[in-house]
Amino acid sequence: MDHKTSEEAALVRRVQARDEMAFREVVERYQSKVFSIIFGILRNRNDAEDIAQQVFAKVYFSIKNFDFRSSLLTWIYKITVNECYDYLRKKRVRKLVYESDFSQEDAQRMEASEPAVDASVPVDTRLAQRDLILKLLSKVSEEERSLILLKEVEGHSVEELAGMTGLNENTIKVKLFRTRQKLLRAAGRLTRTR
Amino acid sequence: MHREIRDHIEDVLRGPQPTSRETLKYAREHLAQCDECRTEVQGMQEQTALIRELRAPEDFAADLRPGFYARVMERIEAEGPISIWNLFIESAFGRRIAVASLALALLIGVYLVTSERSAEDSVIALEAQQVNTEQTMVAGEDAPAREITRVDESPTDQSSEDAVLANLVTYREQ
Repeated sequence: MDHKTSEEAALVRRVQARDEMAFREVVERYQSKVFSIIFGILRNRNDAEDIAQQVFAKVYFSIKNFDFRSSLLTWIYKITVNECYDYLRKKRVRKLVYESDFSQEDAQRMEASEPAVDASVPVDTRLAQRDLILKLLSKVSEEERSLILLKEVEGHSVEELAGMTGLNENTIKVKLFRTRQKLLRAAGRLTRTR
Repeated sequence: MHREIRDHIEDVLRGPQPTSRETLKYAREHLAQCDECRTEVQGMQEQTALIRELRAPEDFAADLRPGFYARVMERIEAEGPISIWNLFIESAFGRRIAVASLALALLIGVYLVTSERSAEDSVIALEAQQVNTEQTMVAGEDAPAREITRVDESPTDQSSEDAVLANLVTYREQ
């Protein structure tokens, strides 16, 4: 897929030329997505907007470096995940995702809105599992983290990921496999140290 | 992990799909025989399930407060353009680089100052040595010069004496 000639590319070029209307369009087009990515990772409604604002400020300042090799969404996705991890680092990862940091509303929402999750697993166990997977994902590179989240959280296929990133399918498969192996090894190390 | 599984791991983790049934059949056959691959695939399946829990609830975006764009623009105006110095000040890695660079600059400075001083000292020592050598040479050269002068002087004196005597003889003869 050619990301240089699409309608999105024209929009990006306008933002690069500091066209405020174009930037507004980018914000309005992707704000819901960015919000849901942040909330999915952090489950913290209070800070989600703050981080989303930061994401778009980064987009505004860094868009001149956007090289059209990937789609704009893939690029924004990566920035968003990085901002979430910056936030987690600043807030000392572990404390943040435990139940004490959740509002009653968030806990109820989490319970009610995740039909795929086994309801028989207690909330505190699920939060500890979330804590673990966030920690494991911090052990891989930014690119690997974005790729596996795009695959498993956003539900994109290998073919779609190839189109979005500008890489070929085999490269995507190899990168995903290596990431999965790194996560397994990191989990093994973490279990041994506990 | 063996190639039979590694090459099709995404299909295996995705589960039964119409397009991957044949692939999955071979993979299942291999997994039934290979403990190593089975354990690894099981670990990957568990992790995949956990990663999928990072998916946000469908209705989350509906809660977005109005005026988000205006707040983004306020933040952009407040932050201003990113300066190269912000990279050093804001990130931990940048701060480490800055500290390391300062330490390196300090070391280089100390090295330059000390090496300059020792160079100056050696230049002074060399100059002193040269002066001594020159003085010695001058002292050594003076003696023969004086002798030469004396040698030079004596024929002059002799000739002037001769001249005086010649004048006297001439005078008496007159």
